[in-house]
Parts: sequence; structure tokens; C-alpha cells
Amino acid sequence: MNKLIYNYIKENRSRILDTWIQNMRNKADERLIKGVSTEVFESTSDEFVEMIISRLTEKEEEFLSLLTDFAEKVVRLGWPLVFVNEGLKEFEKIVYGGLVDQGLVNQDKLLEVVGDLDSFMTPMQNEVVNMYSQIWEKTVSLQKIALQELSAPLIPVLDRITVMPLVGTIDTERAKQIMENLLNGVVNHRSEVVLIDITGVPVVDTMVAHHIIQAAEAVRLVGAHCMLCGIRPEIAQTIVNLGINLNEITTKNSLQKGIEAALEITSRQIVEMEEVE
Amino acid sequence: MRIPILKLYDCLLVSIQWELDDATALQFQEDLLHKIHQTSANGVVIDITSIDFIDSFIAKVLGDVVSMSKLMGAKVVITGIQPAVAITLIELGIVLDDVLTALDLEKGLEKLQQELGD
Repeated sequence: MNKLIYNYIKENRSRILDTWIQNMRNKADERLIKGVSTEVFESTSDEFVEMIISRLTEKEEEFLSLLTDFAEKVVRLGWPLVFVNEGLKEFEKIVYGGLVDQGLVNQDKLLEVVGDLDSFMTPMQNEVVNMYSQIWEKTVSLQKIALQELSAPLIPVLDRITVMPLVGTIDTERAKQIMENLLNGVVNHRSEVVLIDITGVPVVDTMVAHHIIQAAEAVRLVGAHCMLCGIRPEIAQTIVNLGINLNEITTKNSLQKGIEAALEITSRQIVEMEEVE
Repeated sequence: MRIPILKLYDCLLVSIQWELDDATALQFQEDLLHKIHQTSANGVVIDITSIDFIDSFIAKVLGDVVSMSKLMGAKVVITGIQPAVAITLIELGIVLDDVLTALDLEKGLEKLQQELGD
């Protein structure tokens, strides 16, 4: 690291910080400022510049841990990556401008200084971006796991009758999981009737219908009966308009009707008790 | 190795205990039809609980056996299809349309009695 730059940043630290915060505030868009109070903005900005400076003074590991903390905080606050990136560029600009203004850089050294500054800032930029994407990836994978856990529960409601309520969009991966859970559940619970409830499925297109038909077919092969419940009017419309043939599958409009039909298939019925005086 | 076919009252009972190869499957098809002819059975239960892998040829043979038995006046119930097998069949696009199925042997026999009773 060039001694010149190092000394300059060290000596003019507070001035750089002030200019930087000023410039960044002008740059930050409405949305960002509104969501964040002035103190938080200032302290975070302070931390940001602190972090950049620590790159000069601290050891590699300390810098990295600071970077991790900062990135996590910023992601939590919802600062866009573009803004942070802009911040780094701005910092570079201010330092360079300062160096030139103070006449510390003459024509001969100019290229060397620019090169040094660049080789100092670029890895940091990479690290910030890297940090961001790592945290994003972590969030995405956590959400994916959560989604998988919610994906396809099979509930044995009555003897020999099970229900699988589906909520949310069905894609191919999920459909596969649904089919596996459904079949394994049918075999494990020894059920005769399975009700698939699609009240919570927002859209039924040809692909979803195809998966449901496949699942129903597979359920029939393992020796149970499959019913489709919770068909909303708009779903019925789409199904018919798309020309999907669901004739092979028994369909009911609500889970209640489905359970009644299921009881009928298993030759049982719900009887109201006479009140005992 | 031949697959044993047992007679149980007016039904035939087949339990397939190991993975079928092509020759065995064809042999089985022939044996079963002969047995139906011999015993003039009204129903057949084929239990494939122990099979967790099936290919398109075996699936076709099974489907054929069912149709052929039907022609000879015997109803067929296939029992104990494993989830993995069901998924494979569906993915291969093999729809055993006119085949009766049941969860296990017990339920299969019940179903057969019911069908024959009608």
C-alpha cells in the first residue's frame, strides 16, 4: 500500500467521513432515507467508512469480520447493493480528489497513485459483493428448506381416510415431492381414500393438472381411491377452458363434501347422537 | 425359476417374491393362463409387495396378463404396488386402466369377493 495514500486517509479521516456522508445522502434515494432514521444512517455510514479505513490499519481477519458484520447489518436494513457499491466508488473519488487538491500528487506519480488506489479498492469491492451474495444465498436456501417443510403434509383425519391440503404454487419439483409423500403416506397409513385439497392453490394450469392426474393415477395403482376437493369456481373455469380432462378423478367442491363421499366409499356415515336426558 | 400359483377356493393366488426377468414373466403369463383354464377360477390376486423395481416390459406383460385373464373370465386384482413402482409406471406412461388394485393381499381378496359377488 502506498504510504502517501495511507497517511492522507489517516490524517484527513474525519474530513473524508463528513464529505462522504454528505455526498452519499444526496445520492441515496427517497425510499432508503425514509425507511432509515438519520442516526441509523449516520452511524451506519460511519461504520462503513470505519470499515474501509480498517482495511488500511487492521489485519486481514479483523477486516473480514468487520465486513461480515457490516454486510449482515446492511442487508437487514435493506440497503441495496448498488448503493453500497456507489459508496465505495465515492470514497475512492473523495480520496483521489483530496490527494490532487492538496497537491500531494504530481504528474509523475499520478499513474502510480491511481493504480495503488485501484488495487486497494477493487478487492474490497469484490469482497463486499461476495459477502452480499453469500448472505442472499443463505437466505434463499433457508427459505427453500422452510418451503420444503411446508410442502406436502399428509394428515390422517379418520381411519382409512387421509387428507393432503396443498397451499401455494405447484412446480415440477414440488409435484414430485407431493406424489412421493402421497404414495408413501397411503401405504403407511393404510388408507383407502385420499383427498387432495387444492383450496390454497392459486392457479391450476395444464402442468399442475397433469401432476394431479398423475398423482391420482399412481394412488389408484397402490390400491386407494383419490379425490380432488376444494375446486373454486375460477379453477373450474380454467380447467374447462384449457380443455383439461379430469373425468377420471372424482372432484368435490369442498373438503366437507369430500369427506362425506369418502365415508360413503368406506361404507360409513356420521350419525348424530340423541341427547341423553 | 417358476412363480408358484396357488388355488384358494375359486380364486388363484400369486405372490411374486423376486424381481422378474423377461423370460420368467412370459413363463408366468403362460402358467397363469393354463392354471385358469385348469381350475376355471373366477378371480386372480397378484401380489407384488416385494417388487420395488419394474421396467416397461414387465409392466406390459402384467397388463397383458390382466386383459388375457379377463378374456378367460377371471377378474384380476393387483395388490401391494409400492410407491416407487407406481411412480415409475406413471412416469413410463403405462396406465393399467382396467386393472383393479388394492393396498395389500387382504384388501385385494376382499375386493375380489366384492367384485365376484356383484
